[in-house]
Amino acid sequence: MVSDSPTPTDRDVSSELTDTAESTQSEGLNLHQQIRLKSDGGQLVVHLPPQSDSDTAGELTWQELWQQLKHRLQASDRSWQPNTRVRVVAGDRLLDSRQLQELDDALSQAQLKLERVFTRRRQTAVAAATAGYSVEQPLAQDLLQQTSELSATALAEPLYLHTTLRSGTEIRHPGNVVLVGDVNPGGAVIAEGDILIWGRLRGVAHAGAAGNPQSLIMALQMEPTQIRIADSVARAPSDKPSQYYPEVAYITPHGIRISRAADFVRPTAAVSPDN
Amino acid sequence: MSRIIVITSGKGGVGKTTTTANLGMALAKRNRKVVLVDADFGLRNLDLLLGLENRVVYTAVEAIAGECRLDQALVKDKRHSQLALLPAAQNRMKDAVSPAQMKQLVMALAKKFDYVIVDSPAGIEQGFQNAVSAAREAIVVTTPEIAAVRDADRVVGLLEANGIRKIRLIVNRIRPEMVEANDMMSVEDVRELLAVELLGIVPDDERVIVSTNRGEPLVLSEEPSLAGQAFDNIARRLEGETVDFLELTTPPEGFLSRLRKILTTRIL
Repeated sequence: MVSDSPTPTDRDVSSELTDTAESTQSEGLNLHQQIRLKSDGGQLVVHLPPQSDSDTAGELTWQELWQQLKHRLQASDRSWQPNTRVRVVAGDRLLDSRQLQELDDALSQAQLKLERVFTRRRQTAVAAATAGYSVEQPLAQDLLQQTSELSATALAEPLYLHTTLRSGTEIRHPGNVVLVGDVNPGGAVIAEGDILIWGRLRGVAHAGAAGNPQSLIMALQMEPTQIRIADSVARAPSDKPSQYYPEVAYITPHGIRISRAADFVRPTAAVSPDN
Repeated sequence: MSRIIVITSGKGGVGKTTTTANLGMALAKRNRKVVLVDADFGLRNLDLLLGLENRVVYTAVEAIAGECRLDQALVKDKRHSQLALLPAAQNRMKDAVSPAQMKQLVMALAKKFDYVIVDSPAGIEQGFQNAVSAAREAIVVTTPEIAAVRDADRVVGLLEANGIRKIRLIVNRIRPEMVEANDMMSVEDVRELLAVELLGIVPDDERVIVSTNRGEPLVLSEEPSLAGQAFDNIARRLEGETVDFLELTTPPEGFLSRLRKILTTRIL
C-alpha cells in the first residue's frame, strides 16, 4: 500500500458514495452463528456455534449449520494438507450420532479426519464415544472460565477464502478477511478488520465491525449493495460507472469515500495535517 | 451409469416443470429411457403438463410407504414408451418423505433408466432437500429477472453445499427485443453473476402456454417453434453434443425489416 506518499488524499478521484449518515450499532462482532475454523498445533479445530436450551429465534438449525460448514470447508480447502486431524468443539451443542456421522462425512469429503470431540453435553459425549471418536469433557469448574473465550481484544488470524460468496451466505470473522472470488448480491462479509476482495463486490461488506474506523474495504470491482466501515453506512450511486478499477473504501471525516487503488493513500496520513 | 439430474430454481414460476417435461420428452425422442420424478409433493403438476393426469393410480409416497411396487407407481407415457413418470402425491405434504427415503427411491429408479430427472419444488426447504438428495447433476432454471437470478444464486450455493459439482444453467423466457432495448438482463449478465456453465437459452414463447394447457410438451409439436428447438438443443447438449446456442438477437420479423436491420448495423 502507498502509505508513505507525502501528498494529501484530496487527489482522490472518486467519492462516489452517498452517505446515509446513519450509524449501525456496534457492540462487538456477533459470532454466535458462525462456524470457526482454526489451526492449532498441526490440527484443525472446528468451533460450532453455541446453542441455548430455549428455542431462540435466529439460532442455526442443524441443517443450516451443516450447509455453512460445507461452504466453509469448500472455500478454504487449500488451507490444510490431506488427512489433517480435526477436533470439533461442540460446547453446549447437542449432537446425536447421525449428526456426528454427517460431520464426519463433510470433513472427510474435504480430506479431513475427525478425531476428537469436545463437548459439555453428556449425550453428545456418549454418542461420540460410541462412534469411536475420542471425547473431551471439561470438569464442572472449567465451565466458568470457558466463557471468557470471546473477549480477546487482538484480532484473530486472517481468514483466507477461495469461493464465490452467493446470495444468502454470510461470513463473519473477528479479524481481516481475504476473499478470492466474488461477493454476489445477497451475500455479506462482516469483519472486525479489513476486507480484501479479489473479485467483484456486489453484496454487503462491513469492515471494522467492532468499531475500528481505520478499517478498509478493497475490491477489484466495487459495485456493492452497501458498504459499512465501523459505524458508517454508505450505498453505491445508482448510476454505474463505465469502467471499473480496483478500489479502496475508507472513512474520512465526511463519511465513507472510495478511491482508485492506484491513487489511494492511507487516510491516517492525511487526516491529521488537514484537521 | 445412469444420470440423476435435479431441475431446480429457488423461485417459483420460472419454468422448472415445463423444462422437465420438455427435456424428458426430448431425451425420450432420442431413444433414451427416461423417468421424470415429480418431487413437488402436495402441489403436483408434472402429470398435467405431460397430459398423463388421468393415468395416475399410485404415487411416489405410496411407493415409499410400500403400499405398491415401484413399477406400479410409474406411469408410462402414451406417446413415447421410453418415457415414464413417477407422480407426486397431492394429498400429502412435502415433509411426508425424508431425503433418505427419496434417495433410496431415486437410486432404485436409476437401475432401470438412463436418465432420472427430478423436478424440484420451488423454495429451499424440505421439498428441495428431498429433490436434491440423490442428484449427481443439477440444472438451475432462471428467468432474466433480478429476483429469479438472486434465488438461483442462493440455490447454486446450496447445491454446492450438497456436494453437487456439475451445475448447469438454463435461462428461460428471454425476450430478445427487450434485451436489445436494455430493458431486460441479458444471458451474459445472468451467466456472469452465477458463474456456472450455460446449458441453454429458451426464448419466451406463447406456444409454451398453449402446449402446457394441452398437456403436449412443445418438443412434440409438428410445427417448429424456437422454444421447442431450444429444448431439443438442451437435450443434445446433455448428451454431450456441442450445439450452438440459438441466435436470438434477430426477432423473426419479415425479410424486409431484417434487411433494414443489417443495413443500419453496417452503417453504424
